[in-house]
Amino acid sequence: MKLLLIEDEPLLMDEMEAYLTEQGYRCEKAMSFEAGEDKIALYEYDVVILDITLPGGNGLALLQMLKKQHSEAGVLIVSAKDSLNDKLVGLNLGADDYITKPFHLEELNARVNALVRRKSFKGNAQIIVDDLIIDPVAKTVFYKETLVNFTKKEYELLLYFIVNKNRVVSRQSIAEHLWGDHYDMADNFDTVYVHTMNLRKKIAAHTGFDYIKTVYGMGYKFTSA
Amino acid sequence: MAVILSIAGIALYLLLRQEVTAEIKEQLELQADLVADQVAQGKTVNFPLTTVSEVSADFPHDKRLGDTLIYDRLQRENEGYYYLTLVKKVNQRNYQITVMTSYIGWERYYKTIFISFLGVALWMAFFGVLINYYSNRKIWKPFFLNLENLKQFSVRSAQPLQWHDSTITEFKELHYSLKDLTERSRREYLALREFTENASHEIQTPLGIIQSKLDRMSQLEVSEEMARYIVQAKSGVERLSKMNRNLLLLAKLDNQVYSEKQLIRVDELLSQHLEQMEELFSVRNITLSKNLCPVTVKSDRHLCDILLSNLLSNALRYTSSPGEIAIFLSDQQLIISNPGSALDFPSEHLFDRFTKSANHTQGTGLGLAIVHQICLLNGWTIAHTYRMGVHYFSIDFN
Repeated sequence: MKLLLIEDEPLLMDEMEAYLTEQGYRCEKAMSFEAGEDKIALYEYDVVILDITLPGGNGLALLQMLKKQHSEAGVLIVSAKDSLNDKLVGLNLGADDYITKPFHLEELNARVNALVRRKSFKGNAQIIVDDLIIDPVAKTVFYKETLVNFTKKEYELLLYFIVNKNRVVSRQSIAEHLWGDHYDMADNFDTVYVHTMNLRKKIAAHTGFDYIKTVYGMGYKFTSA
Repeated sequence: MAVILSIAGIALYLLLRQEVTAEIKEQLELQADLVADQVAQGKTVNFPLTTVSEVSADFPHDKRLGDTLIYDRLQRENEGYYYLTLVKKVNQRNYQITVMTSYIGWERYYKTIFISFLGVALWMAFFGVLINYYSNRKIWKPFFLNLENLKQFSVRSAQPLQWHDSTITEFKELHYSLKDLTERSRREYLALREFTENASHEIQTPLGIIQSKLDRMSQLEVSEEMARYIVQAKSGVERLSKMNRNLLLLAKLDNQVYSEKQLIRVDELLSQHLEQMEELFSVRNITLSKNLCPVTVKSDRHLCDILLSNLLSNALRYTSSPGEIAIFLSDQQLIISNPGSALDFPSEHLFDRFTKSANHTQGTGLGLAIVHQICLLNGWTIAHTYRMGVHYFSIDFN
C-alpha cells in the first residue's frame, strides 16, 4: 500500500510517517503545495492524506487535480480549521474522509485502514487475528466457527484495538473514537474502562486469552498471542 | 418684540393725536369762517352745534380752543367735543362765534390702537412659533434620526450605520466625525475577532505536535512515575485543545459564519444523540425518560448538533447518580431536566464564558455559553430554573 502524506508541519509529519510506516504502509512525503503537485502528477497512490492549509496553495486545489486525473486514490483531508465549510467542500469535491487537527494517530490510522479496505478490497477483506475473524461488512466477529456477540460499541472498540495493534491507545483516543469529540469526555473515562473490561471478558471467555493489556494509567494495548 | 410694539403703539397714538387735533382745529376755523360768511349775508346761521352772538366791540378778541362734554340723546351718554370760540368783525359788528365738532375720545383711539397692536403681536407670535417649529423640525430631523441610529449602534452589527445627510455645516461635521468613529471601532472590533479566530487556528497545530509527541512517549517503556506525568500532561493538552476548539466555535458564532439554515427534525436529531450516548448514561446509573413530538425547526444542522450534545453532556455531568434525566420536546419548546446539587455560583452567570462549578473543574466552562450563543443566533430563548433539587433547561423555539 502506497501512501502520500501532504503536510507542512515537519514534526507532525515525522509522527505520521513513523506510525504509518510501522503499520506496513509505504509512505511518501510532500511538505508544500508544489511538492504535492509534482508527486500527484508523477505517481499513483492508494491513499493521499491531504492537509488543507499548505504553504503555496490550498490543499483543496490538489484534491481537484487528483479528481481531474481520475485518480483511484482514496483522499483523507486533514484540517486545522474545524470548519464545516471546508468539510462540505472537501467531501463534495470527492474526498473520502475528513479529520480535524489535533488528532490521535490511532484515529488517523483507523481512518486510513478503513479507506484502504473500502477502496482496495471493496470492503470484502476479513481481518484476522489469530483465530478471531472479523467481517467489516457484516460487522460480525467469529472465534473459529462461533459467532461472538458484541454490542455495537464493543465491536467498534475491538476493531480500533486491532487496527492499532501493539500500540498503547489512550483513553482519550478511545473515547473520541467511540463517541465523537463533541461530548466533553474529560470526566467520562469510566465508560471507556467499563467497555474495555466487557470486551476483554468476552474475548477471554471464548479464546481463553486476554489480548488487551492495561498500561499503567495511560491506556490499553492490544497484542496478539 | 413686545417693547418695540408698545413703543410703536404709543408713538402712533401721540402722532395721531397731534395730527387729528391740528386737523380738527383747521376744520373748526373753516367752519367759523363759513358761519361768519352767512352772518355777513344776513342769513340765519343754520349749522348744527354752532352758536353766534353779538358782543360789544371791546369784547376780547382772543381765540379759544377747548373741549367739552355734551350729552348725546341717542347714545345717552356724554360725548367729547372740541369747540372753537372766536370773535369776528362782520359788517362793523362783533360776533362771537362758537363752533363744535365731536371727536372720538382719545381713550378709544388708545383702545383701538392697543387692540390692533395686540392682535398683530399675537399673530406674529403664532406664526413665528409655527414657522420656527416646522423649520426646526426640518433642520433637526437628520440630527435626531442619526441620534436614534447611534443609540442602536453596536460594533457587532454586520452592516455599517446608515447616516442621514443634512445641509447644516455643523451637523455635517458631526456626521463625518461620528461616521469615522463608528467605522473605526467596527474595524477594530472585526480585527480583534479575526485575531481570535486566527489565533485559535494557529494554536491547533502546535497542540497537535505536543499531543502526538506525548503519544509517542507513551509507546516507550517508561516507569510508572513517568507514565503518570505523561498522562497528566496529556489531559492538560486535551483540555487546552477542547477549550481552543470551543473558543474557535464561539468566534465563528460571533462572526456569524453559520448563516445557512435548513429544516431540521429536532426529535430525530435528539434520538440520534441519545442513542449515541446510551452507554455513557447507563455506566453512571442514569436513566432516561423522554417524551418527544415530531418537531421541525429552521437552523444550521452542525449548530443544532452542538447545541444538543452540549446540553446532554451538561446533564450527564451534573446529574447525581443514580438519577433520571427527563427530556420533553414539543412544538414550542425543549425541556431537559436533571436532578443535581444547586449551583455554587450566581445563576445569572450560568451562560457566561468560563463559568464552572467548583466541583467540576475538568470542563471548559464554555459549553453552556455556546448553547446560549447558538440560541441567540436562532432567535430562541433559553432559560434555567432550579426547583426542588432539579435543574430545568428550557429552550423556546419562538
